[in-house]
Formats: sequence, C-alpha cells, structure tokens
Amino acid sequence: MKKYRVAYQIALQETLQRRSTLIMDRLGGFAVVVSLYSFWTALIGDKATFLGYTRAEMLTYVLALNILRSFVFTGRGWQLVGEISSGRISSYLIRPLSYHGYALALDLAQKTIHVAASFFEVSLLAVCVRGELFLPRDPATWLLFSVAVLLSSLLFFFLEFMVSSLAFWTSESGGPLFCFELFLQFAAGAFFPLDVLPLGLRRALEATPFPYMVYFPVRIFLEKVPPFEAMGMLGMEALWLMAVFTAAMMIWRRGVRSYAAEGG
Amino acid sequence: MAAAIETKGLTKDYRSPLKEPGLWGGVKSLFDRKYKDTRAVDGVSFSIEEGELVGFLGANGAGKTTTLKMLSGLLTPTSGAATALGHVPWKREPAFQRSISLVMGQRSQLWWEIPAYETFRLNQAIYGLSDADFKKHLDELVDLLELGEHLSVPVKKLSLGQRMRCELAAALLHRPRLLLLDEPTIGLDVVMQKNVREFIKAYNKRSGATIMLTSHNMTDVVALCRRVIVIEKGRLLYDGALDRLVERYADHKILRARFTTDVEPGDLKGLGVVVKYEERCVTLEVPRAKIAASAAALLRSYPVADLNVEEVAIDDIVRRLFTHA
Amino acid sequence: MPGPKGPGVTIIHKYWRIWLRTASMAMQAQLTYRLGSFGFLLGKMISLFFFFAFMAAVFQHVETVAGYSLVETALFFMTFNLVDMTAQILFRGVYGARRTVSEGDFDFYLVQPCSPLFRMTCSTVDFLDIVTIIPVIVMTGMVFARLPTLGWLNYAAYGLLMLNGVGLIYAIHILVAALAVRTQELESAIWIYRDIMFMGKFPVDVYAPAVRWALTIGIPIAVMTTFPAKALLGRLSPFWIVYALALTAVALPLSWHFWKNSVARYTSSSS
Repeated sequence: MKKYRVAYQIALQETLQRRSTLIMDRLGGFAVVVSLYSFWTALIGDKATFLGYTRAEMLTYVLALNILRSFVFTGRGWQLVGEISSGRISSYLIRPLSYHGYALALDLAQKTIHVAASFFEVSLLAVCVRGELFLPRDPATWLLFSVAVLLSSLLFFFLEFMVSSLAFWTSESGGPLFCFELFLQFAAGAFFPLDVLPLGLRRALEATPFPYMVYFPVRIFLEKVPPFEAMGMLGMEALWLMAVFTAAMMIWRRGVRSYAAEGG
Repeated sequence: MAAAIETKGLTKDYRSPLKEPGLWGGVKSLFDRKYKDTRAVDGVSFSIEEGELVGFLGANGAGKTTTLKMLSGLLTPTSGAATALGHVPWKREPAFQRSISLVMGQRSQLWWEIPAYETFRLNQAIYGLSDADFKKHLDELVDLLELGEHLSVPVKKLSLGQRMRCELAAALLHRPRLLLLDEPTIGLDVVMQKNVREFIKAYNKRSGATIMLTSHNMTDVVALCRRVIVIEKGRLLYDGALDRLVERYADHKILRARFTTDVEPGDLKGLGVVVKYEERCVTLEVPRAKIAASAAALLRSYPVADLNVEEVAIDDIVRRLFTHA
Repeated sequence: MPGPKGPGVTIIHKYWRIWLRTASMAMQAQLTYRLGSFGFLLGKMISLFFFFAFMAAVFQHVETVAGYSLVETALFFMTFNLVDMTAQILFRGVYGARRTVSEGDFDFYLVQPCSPLFRMTCSTVDFLDIVTIIPVIVMTGMVFARLPTLGWLNYAAYGLLMLNGVGLIYAIHILVAALAVRTQELESAIWIYRDIMFMGKFPVDVYAPAVRWALTIGIPIAVMTTFPAKALLGRLSPFWIVYALALTAVALPLSWHFWKNSVARYTSSSS
C-alpha cells in the first residue's frame, strides 16, 4: 500500500510544479462553466422553470458540473497511450506493482488538486452571481451523491483505460480515444442536461453507462429522484462498473500478452 | 583573405528554474520561483579559414554544442561577436542561411512517415533550388552516399545507417559553404561511424567547404581533424594542431608488455610508472626521452612475450587538460 | 533573388510553394495513420453534430435565446465554426509547438532560410480539417438562405470581419508559439485558448454584461466570432467595426514583436 501512497505524493508534487499548466487548465474549465451558466440563464429568461429546473437548480447543475468534471473526467488514458507506444510501459510491467493501482494513485493526485481548485472556482462563481443554490437538506442525498460520484469516477477511469488499451494493438489509438472522450462528454450530460434531448434519444442514451457519470449523480443531488429510485440507479451504476472493470482487465491482459509477444 | 569564421569573446548564459524537492517545495514553487544562472560559453575567440576541417573537443556540457549553435544562428550570444562567411550568424539573413547547413546527431530533419525524397523536395523549395540544380545535386549525393532505392522508402523503415546517409544528403543538397556537424556519429556502430567520417573527409576535399564538427568521440576527431579546439566549462583551453596537443600535454608514452611468467611489478619501477599490472601484462608510463631505453631494458632483463609502444590516448590527454585548467 | 515581378512577389511565390509542399507531405504522413485519422474525423463530426442537435433541441423549448431566433443563433454558431476551422487549417502547427521545440525540429527551422514562425504554425496542415469545413460551408449556405434579404454592405462587413477574426486568432497563435519557444512550461497555453473559444459558440449577448465586456475587450472572442454575424444582421455599429479592425492592427505587430523577442532568448533543448 505504501508504494501507492508514495506514487500519490510524487504525482501531487509534480502537478504543483507545473503551476502554469495547472492554472491554464483551471482557467479553461472555468471559461466553459461560465459560458454554460450564461447560456442556461439566457434560456430560462423570465420563466420560473426551464425543462423542470428552477433557476437555483440550474445554477447548482452547472456548478456541480464543474466539480464533477474535475473529479470524474480526469483519467490516465492519454498517459497510457503514450507509455504503450513509447515502450515505457515495459518498465512498469516488470515491477512488483499493479499498473492499475499505480495509475489510480496518480489519477487520485490529479483529482485532489483539480477538485480543490474547482471548489474554489465554484465558490467564486456562486458569490459573483449572487444566485441561490440548491443545497439538499437530507443527509441521505449527500451520502447517495458521494457514492455516485465515487462510482462515476471509477467508471470513467476504467472506460477510458479500456479504450486506451487499444494502443497495444495499434499506434493510432489517439484518434479513437479522442472520439470516445468527446462523445462521452455529450452523452454523460456534461455539456447540457439530457432533458433537452427528445425522449427517444434520451432513452437510448440511458441504456448506456454514460449518463451515470454526470447526469444521474446531479439529478440525485438535486433530489429529482426519490431515494429508492436513486439507490436503484446506484445499483445499476455498480453493475456497469463491474462489467466495464472486467472488460478492461480482460483487454488489458490480452494486450500485455500480445505486447510482450512482440518483444515490446 | 578574410577568415571564414571569426569569433571574439563569445559568451552565452543560461537561466534555469530551480525545483525544490518534497511536497512543501512543490507548493512553494507555485508562488516563488528561484533560478540558476549558468555560463555555458565564456569568452571564446578563434578564427577558421575557408576549407578547414576543425574539431571541437570537450566533455558533455562543456559548451561546444552551444558555440556551434551560435555560429549557425540558432542562438544569440549574451555578449561577444562573431562573423561567419561575412555575416553575423544570429541575424539569420537568408543569404547566410542558404550557404550553411547544420547536422545534429540523433536529431533528424527528415519527416518520419514518408520517403526522404519528399523532405528533399521541401528543402528544394526552402533553399530556392531550380529543378535542374536540384536534380544535379541530388544525383551527385545519391552517388556519393549510395542512396539508391532508399529515397522512396518511408524514413521510419530505413536502418539507422541509411537514415544518417539520407540526413547528410538533405543537409548538403544546397551545397553549403559551411557545414556544422554536432555529434554526427553518436549512436552509430563502428562501421557506420567510419563511413560517415570518410564521407565528411571526402566532401571537404571535393567541395572545399569549411567543416566544423563537435564530438566527444576521439576517433572522429583524430581521423578527421588536423586542428582541434578544446573547450572545457565554456572556456577555450587549446586551439591548434592535434598532434601538437598530444606532444604538449603528454610528456610521456605508454609502454605495454606481456610476460611469459609472473613478474613482480615493484621491480619495474625504475623503468617508468606502473599504471596497471594484471595477469602478466603491465602498462607503464614512460617519459618520452626514456622510452627507447626503457623498452630495451625490458626486453633485456625480463621474459617479454609481446611489447607495444603507444601514444597516450587522447581521452586521457583531454582529461588531464581539464584537471589542469 | 528578385524575379522579374519584384522581390515581394517572389517571396509570396516561395512561401506558397513551401505551404503546398508541407500540406502535401502532411497529408501523405497522415494517410499512413488510417485508424487514428478516422477516429479524429469521427470525433470532429460528432462534436459538430451534437452541438447542432443540441441547438435544435433547445429551440423546441424556447422561441428566442437572448433575443435571437433559431436561424440567427445558427448563424452565430456556423460563423464561429467557419472562423475557428479556418484558423485550424492555417495555424494547426501551434498545437504541436512544444513538441516541435523539444524534438529539435525548431532548431532546423531557425537555421533554414524560411520564416520559423511560418514553419511552426503552418507545418502540419490536417487535410481532415479541410474535409470537415466543406459540410460547414454548405450548412452556412443553408442558414444564409433562410435569412431575410440583406444589403451587399452587410455581406461585405461579414467577410471583412471574418478575415479580421482570423487575423486576431493568428495573433493569439503567434503568442502561444512564442511562449512555447520561450519556456518549457505553458505547453497547454493553446488548450486554454480552445476552452475559451468554447464561449464563442454562443452569441455573446447571452453572457452577463461583465462577461460580455471581458469577451469583447479582454479576450476578444466576441470580436472573432460574434461580430461578423452581428454585422451581417445589421446589429453592429460602425464604432465596433472600427474597434475590431484596430484591435487586430495592434495585436498582430505586438505578438510578432513578442515572437521575435522570444526567439532571441531561445535556448535550444539539446546539450
């Protein structure tokens, strides 16, 4: 366990070292949040609700989005692709270290810093906007939300891992990974609440694991679903996570085997 | 005739950020950056005539590559002056750039996924070569470097040696008057190194181009350059003929002998300094004046199976130079 | 060597040839990566499609957004895409600026008789971008067809401000390239540009006044993407048009100056 903790600490330092990169990343994310918020506010106009969301709920959706993006949507996919294609991964495979554990530790370090920054930005935005926020009073909601977020980040991590593992077979996995991440953001409701979409499309997306990453957790937070249904969603998400995890591991093992067979 | 290259007091300073270890150091670096200043090149002055083949010797980080880069116009010096082919290099005038070429070992200007020929055509456009000139120069280089079908194969599919030859062709298409080579043989095997060296020598003779090369591979310098410039910690230590470098700084020669039976090394002290004794083989350092006498004495008094007299290795000379400086 | 038409024309001719050569080489190189290219192409198309679908879906629920109808909002979005994609085609090299510097390619750019800035920004033309801009042009045409008849002056202003937008974006890319040359960090400066450009997808009027000002005066996304469409619809006063042109006229020399300064301080990455 210790080695993962050390990896975590080192990664934490490294991210702090590259301070300009960090600031740039956060500024960029902030810009996205501001535009989304402004757009939604413009949409809601003078009406009381839009798509069933009140002003306060809308603002909360956007702010929660910022936090979720920095916690859920960071992964080690691109690094994995880089390490496989450059051959650096061989050095990890021979160490008494689980690559996944290691990657998770590194990812956690990233998440720590980004979430901290995100909270800061969100508070800043909330103050600037002087808007009402929707904060659930039921402690069960907070608990369910936390579990959902945890599951979501693991789900994203392993999904991305799965797609990045393509790099074992082709040097061109950057393209599919790019495509995947883009599609994911839309389908997860990270740009706009899926309520906007026509019913048919929405139902189709809800059959995939994607909406579980952002859309459902936020809905749980906004208490748009009764607790019983929320638990059902979490159960579904857990099932998806297990399926994705199994698939990712299987592909990983195959990949490592074929990679080693070629002599790296 | 004005020198091809002339430098006066060339100096280059670098500034690099300091990174403190540890987590706290990481957080601190977010707010307060400290820097370290290094003087890579310190007041280097020399003059090179047209057509010379000069070698720059020095340890890693000694400043030889930095000097070369300043002469190519890549870097602007912190202070000092230089002219090459009548131009100030870092002004990067097109007329100057059209008459020089830079080759960097381990770095390639060839595009990786496509045939080298395509990069050649790009260079044709960049250097403004007419189709006739391009064809003429290319044919000549293909001949000299034996490129043949290598031109139409994607560069990534070529062997290291083939790639190096294509790289040289790309650099010489426009017939530069000044050729700068930075560690051209690094990473190549012994045979390839020899081929590259021979090509450089031949090219220098054919075209009369001025050639400057940096290397920390002594064989390159010894084989190619009559004149060397030794740089250590940014300062010019020696500028002159290579053989005089050996003479001046090596006041002794090396005597190696193999014996048929075991010999007590202490007994040999009178003949010279015993550097090494291993399995009946001894290595002695003998002052130049006494070399003949010591060799004769060895043969007379000891059961010698094999005897060799050598010059001190250039590496050792350079090392000694560095410690003297 | 000045030709019969004069040195200026020869230089343009030379750079045009170099651009064509590198574009053709980049395309050849890219064709060796079929899966990757397909993935990127698909990703771009998905992004375009989703945003469009999102716009359409939104308008199922509302009549106007910040006072603009669906057609008008679509115009803003398509204009944004045209400007953004043109910039992508022309200045894509800057996205790989850090790698160009660290792998030593930039060293070659400096030694060869061709503007290193030109090589840096234009060396990796992605022909996929050229492919994807075609449907965008077509869709823009469809949006134009749905607009009420407008005077030729409006169209002229639109064209002028679009060119102006591309020029302003070029200034930003020069700045980013200069940063890549100057320091090993700030590698992701170009990505923050892309994130902020995200804000340009919407007509600037949706943003609160403070943000709108920031986007017009501070980081002038508005000038690049919203202004042309607004001018076309006749909702931009001459003052702002002059402002837009003046801004680019100032930004370009400034960033060029910064570039020259950064190159002078360049410290090559090998030993």
